Amino acid sequence: MNTPQQLAEVLTSLRVGNQSFLITFYEQNRDLFARWARRQHQLPAPEAHELLRTVLVEFYDQVSDGRLTKLPPDLRAYVYGMADEQVRAARTTAVLPKAEAGRRQRLLGLFRQLGLDSQKMLMYFYFRGYNFEKMAGKMGFANANVARMQKSICLRKLYELRLRTETAAS
Amino acid sequence: MTPPTPDLRPYLDELERFADGQMGAAEQEAFEIRLEQDPELYQAYQLYEQLSADLRWVAGHETLYQRLLSLDRRLDQRQEALARIKRRQRRLQRQWAVVGGVALVALVAVWWFLMRPASTSPEIAWTRYYVPDSGLTDEVIQESQRPLLAEAMRQYREGHYTPALYTLRRVPTSTLGQDTLTYYNGIFLLSQDDPEQVRAAQPFLRRVAMQSSSRLAGRARYHLGMAYWRNQQITAARNTLRSVANDTRNPYQEAARQLLRSDALPQE
Repeated sequence: MNTPQQLAEVLTSLRVGNQSFLITFYEQNRDLFARWARRQHQLPAPEAHELLRTVLVEFYDQVSDGRLTKLPPDLRAYVYGMADEQVRAARTTAVLPKAEAGRRQRLLGLFRQLGLDSQKMLMYFYFRGYNFEKMAGKMGFANANVARMQKSICLRKLYELRLRTETAAS
Repeated sequence: MTPPTPDLRPYLDELERFADGQMGAAEQEAFEIRLEQDPELYQAYQLYEQLSADLRWVAGHETLYQRLLSLDRRLDQRQEALARIKRRQRRLQRQWAVVGGVALVALVAVWWFLMRPASTSPEIAWTRYYVPDSGLTDEVIQESQRPLLAEAMRQYREGHYTPALYTLRRVPTSTLGQDTLTYYNGIFLLSQDDPEQVRAAQPFLRRVAMQSSSRLAGRARYHLGMAYWRNQQITAARNTLRSVANDTRNPYQEAARQLLRSDALPQE
């Protein structure tokens, strides 16, 4: 992951959903980051780990949204900078008002209200791109048709949840 | 404020079937024609596509989030396991140190125990095997005639060997046989249990032992042998005691045999 060629490939592979770069980054830097966060922000280890996870997910979002088109020359420094910003923002302002969160963030919130199996199924279908055959195998369904029906039910549940919250808001 | 979005629900089944490629050729063609002609269906289609895109984003976000979370748990478990192993190793080392310490102490104790009797064993062997002379009885002495001899014997029996020796030397030779005097001189010297006195006792005892006519010769030979042993003259002790052991008339025959049979007297 060190030559410019490989670095350039990182963004592309992240965009097509290959997250292994960030997983490896987390595994290699977790303890180092926790020490830095303790010294810099007096954060205990579990919270520092959570902060790094949040920052990496945010980084991933930036890449997949297209907000980040060029990999920063020093990724570690960039990630640390993001973490710094996050801690300071958390100190100066409270949690962002709900109304200001974007459409996708709202959908994310609703998504987390679903059951774990529903979440898993939607992640398999919409992120991993599994076909119904494979999804049936992963979830233990009898056949692809059952998987298709189940996914349909989950999508409907999520949509109805969104409809309900929107009518309640208006 | 955004205008209220139209309800997707009436179209959802169709849109899903279309998007997932579940329609037959004729059904798909008909749907595509309707899509161009029905503005409400078209709007629903666009909303559905937006929802799918959002859901793809959410699913990617959530997948990474959960992968990182489970990786975090795994790393925590690994660190905990490593710490546990290290703790166990340290505990084991401590236990071994304690065991080693105890073993060392035990070893030192055993060594001390084994070495201690070696230094005292001659004393123990001496008190075990030496049969002291009982001295002359009162009937033999006839106190009224030989008061000094009686005094010497009393002191001897009470364990005051040096005064006994002085008293004995004051006994006039006319009242007592020369061999008896010489014999008890040797006995009193030997009884003092001092290396020099033991050596000094030897000539007295030897002189009596040489006088085959004396009744004390056999006894003197035994005490002479014991004096050799006490003085670590092993060969002389062995030879002298062997002759005592072979002499059936010697009152110390059994004592000499016992000592010769035991390993207290080193083999040649």
